[in-house]
Amino acid sequence: MKGTNLGELEELILLTVTMLYDNAYAIAIRDEVKEKCNRSITISTVHAALIRLEKKGYVDSRYDGSTPERGGRRKHLFSITKSGYNALVQAKEQREFLWQHIPAISFD
Amino acid sequence: MKQQKSPPQWMNSLLEKFCDDRLFEGIAGDLLEDFLVDVEVNGYRRAKWNYIFQSIGFLRLIFKKKTKLMTPMRSIWLNYLSTTLRSVKKNKAYFAINLLGLILAITCGWFALVYIQDEFNFDQIHSDKDRTYRLYKRNYNPNENKDHLTYETSGMMAPTMLEEFPEVESFTRFCPWFEDAILSFEETNIQTEHFYFADSNFFEFFDYEILAGNPRSFLTAPSSIVLSESMAKSLFGAEDPMGKVVIGLHDLNYTVTGIFKDVNRLSSMEFDAVVSWSTTVPNTGPLGYTWMNNWLAQGIFSYVKLNAGSDPNALVEKLPAMMERHLPERADQYFLRLVALDDMYLSSDEIKYSRGTRNGSKTFIAVLGFSALLILIIAGLNYINITLSKATQTMKEVGVRKVLGSTRKQLMNRFILETVLSSSIAAVISVAIITSFLPTINLLSGKELPLTAFLQPSSIAFILGFILLISLIVGIYPAWILSAPQVSTIIKGSLPKGGSNKLKKSLLGIQYAISILLIICTLFITRQVRYLENKPLGFDREQVLVIDVNNEVGDDTDVLEAELLKHPNILDVTTSRSAIGAGSYSTTIYPQGSSDEMTVRIFGVDPGFFDVYGISTNQGRTFLRGSIADSANMIVNKAFIDHLGWEDAIGNKMRFSADGDQFGIIGVVDDFHYSSLSENQIEPMVLYLNPTVKWNTSVKIGAQDLKGTIEHIEDTWNQLATRTPLNFFFVDTWFNELYKKERQLFKIATLYAVISILLCALGLYGLTRLQLQQRMKEISIRKVLGASLYSIISMISKQFVLIIVLSLGVMIPVSYYLMDSWLDSFAYRISIDFLPFIMAGVISLIASLTIIVVLSMKTVNTNPANILRTE
Repeated sequence: MKGTNLGELEELILLTVTMLYDNAYAIAIRDEVKEKCNRSITISTVHAALIRLEKKGYVDSRYDGSTPERGGRRKHLFSITKSGYNALVQAKEQREFLWQHIPAISFD
Repeated sequence: MKQQKSPPQWMNSLLEKFCDDRLFEGIAGDLLEDFLVDVEVNGYRRAKWNYIFQSIGFLRLIFKKKTKLMTPMRSIWLNYLSTTLRSVKKNKAYFAINLLGLILAITCGWFALVYIQDEFNFDQIHSDKDRTYRLYKRNYNPNENKDHLTYETSGMMAPTMLEEFPEVESFTRFCPWFEDAILSFEETNIQTEHFYFADSNFFEFFDYEILAGNPRSFLTAPSSIVLSESMAKSLFGAEDPMGKVVIGLHDLNYTVTGIFKDVNRLSSMEFDAVVSWSTTVPNTGPLGYTWMNNWLAQGIFSYVKLNAGSDPNALVEKLPAMMERHLPERADQYFLRLVALDDMYLSSDEIKYSRGTRNGSKTFIAVLGFSALLILIIAGLNYINITLSKATQTMKEVGVRKVLGSTRKQLMNRFILETVLSSSIAAVISVAIITSFLPTINLLSGKELPLTAFLQPSSIAFILGFILLISLIVGIYPAWILSAPQVSTIIKGSLPKGGSNKLKKSLLGIQYAISILLIICTLFITRQVRYLENKPLGFDREQVLVIDVNNEVGDDTDVLEAELLKHPNILDVTTSRSAIGAGSYSTTIYPQGSSDEMTVRIFGVDPGFFDVYGISTNQGRTFLRGSIADSANMIVNKAFIDHLGWEDAIGNKMRFSADGDQFGIIGVVDDFHYSSLSENQIEPMVLYLNPTVKWNTSVKIGAQDLKGTIEHIEDTWNQLATRTPLNFFFVDTWFNELYKKERQLFKIATLYAVISILLCALGLYGLTRLQLQQRMKEISIRKVLGASLYSIISMISKQFVLIIVLSLGVMIPVSYYLMDSWLDSFAYRISIDFLPFIMAGVISLIASLTIIVVLSMKTVNTNPANILRTE
């Protein structure tokens, strides 16, 4: 099944979820991505990525913490799973491995 | 505090409906949170739009509600499909009947649609078609109080209209040549029927595609000729045609000044070669045809373009005054009218004289469309009837499904699916039929429909629409009936009715009525066509052929005649101006004792004419060979003296103008036909001796060795002619060619009648089988009690015979009326007798009884014990 790979956006969002730890819901993730990586993405894009990650088993989700700003609705909170963490580590190692094999180059 | 600034509620509820329930709370919360921040930063207006924009992002498949029914529904449909296939397998005959009906209906409907659409597409390429009009006239003959419509106009009408009426923006005229023209370049001679003289603005006025030359000026100079691409190719091959000189009409030189793309088949005008009008203007061009450039001679076709927004009817009202000013002697006979270019093609039904252009027929289109509609109706009724007949088979399935909790709607879906399936299969087969038999279909219909016409969006939409229509209208009713039985009745074992038998019988009755109508019409059309082809023509039509010698051979006809007569199978030869089938002219005369002019046909003949054609003399004598005195004598036909009420015509006199010389009548010949029997009555005719004008050589040949005789004629011709190919026709073939329209109608009517009777038979087959099934036990008991085969068959067939007789009774007056009015359009028509009606009845009865008897035999011959023991 093709779905076990991590897409670029998925990796970014999964990292953000891990970083936000206890407050990882779509708005917070979007704001964080905007702030840290300077990328504007729509809320639905974040949601879609989260659903995909959940289907792959890289995140769990729960509903918690309703606030009046949300019209009394709870937040859909996400947290990374063990296999999600492994996938992140694997992606990182793969890149480092590849980087090690790049010879010194200069562009001028 | 911020509560009044809420996001658009409709968007929210849309999302609520669309998105998965589990996800919706998080989504809505997130959107609201974002919105409230956005309002603070960007203001309400921006925030609202952002909210909508962000929300739209959630209308993706990934957020969609997972319908719980999705998976089971699919399996239900799959199950319907498999039961449908199973029932198809079990009832192959029914399925085949239904399929055949649908295939016929779709193919006929599709063909009719494309044909009709194609006819409406004629002349649509011209950009100003909505303000371009063709001039035509009503030609009224006050002496006979008769009138007809004709496209023939004179060369001065259109130019005068441009001069006198400001609303006329431009005009163009053309004159298709009366016979084939030959174009020669070096050793190549090409003959064409489509040779026009046309005004210099012809190619600006109409939008035909130009490949070479300047369309504004290439028809300005006298003796300029513009050729079609294929004509240029056959004349010059690969050489550049521009500037080349060809020899054409009257052996003159014409310079090629332009090339146009071959005229599209959807153009009413057909031309391969166009010569500049200036060629014919006296003192300007070499031909100097005054008759093309005066008021009196008719034979030119004129088109005018009006300013945008002007009313053609207002213009038509001013035309009588124009005629009064310029041609007062015809102002009470010629009434000019205009017909829009884009309807002209189909409005030509009533036009009597036209030349060089293609004409469509609204009558034919109506017949075609109407028959196709009838076939569609028959096929639809058939489908309902046969599907209903299956009620016995489907009953158990319906019962089981109902017990398992199917709703009626679901059961109807099951049956509608079956209809959709069979009509889709039928559509696919129809596509295959049309694609593979298109050449045959074109041959039959006399049209060159390309395959693309069948595959254009509107035709595809028709097929899809038909499937939908059949499925909805025709499919719903049987589905409703078939899904009706209560579980309790099924379990009790009583037979389902499958809709009322009365309804089914009346449906069958309608089908029969339609078929009988089509059969009767076909029979009458056949008889009329046969009548036209076989009516005695007043002369010996067999084995006379006419050679066109209005060319270089015209000077050597004495040699030609002498050479021809050397062949033993050539019995007689005559050369004259007129020949039967070679066109004729009309003129006006003043008979003795009358001051009114009288319109007559005029034939210029030589003394041998009457012998070659076998025309018999009624009174007096015919012209004598070598008589100079006879050149001042006239022969008239029987219609001439009947028209004037003369008993004895010999010695009576006539003049050709009110104060002209008198000519005496020396003989009266029996009437003979010289033009289409469908259009023209025999008119009064004058024959005069004209041995010097040699246009046509008529040859009477014997019955033996036709091939050798023709070869002899060809050899003789080739000795005399240098660049003119031999051009001849057989008189009887010429006559039969005239009835193309009628024969085309006959072919279509026959085809549709056959299809309709076939469909009817299919319907009857289904219904009879049902009856036999339902009455199987009754029949068995009757048999046990000693009923004879005959009595059982008559019991089954009685009702069907009644249906047929009833439909016949209804359709006799309808078809009588229809056929009588159709026949009235012919100059010579058959009278209506009762044979076709009886034949239609007999044909449908015999066909139906055969089906009933064959089917009943099977049931009746079954051992009653086999049927009754299950009770």
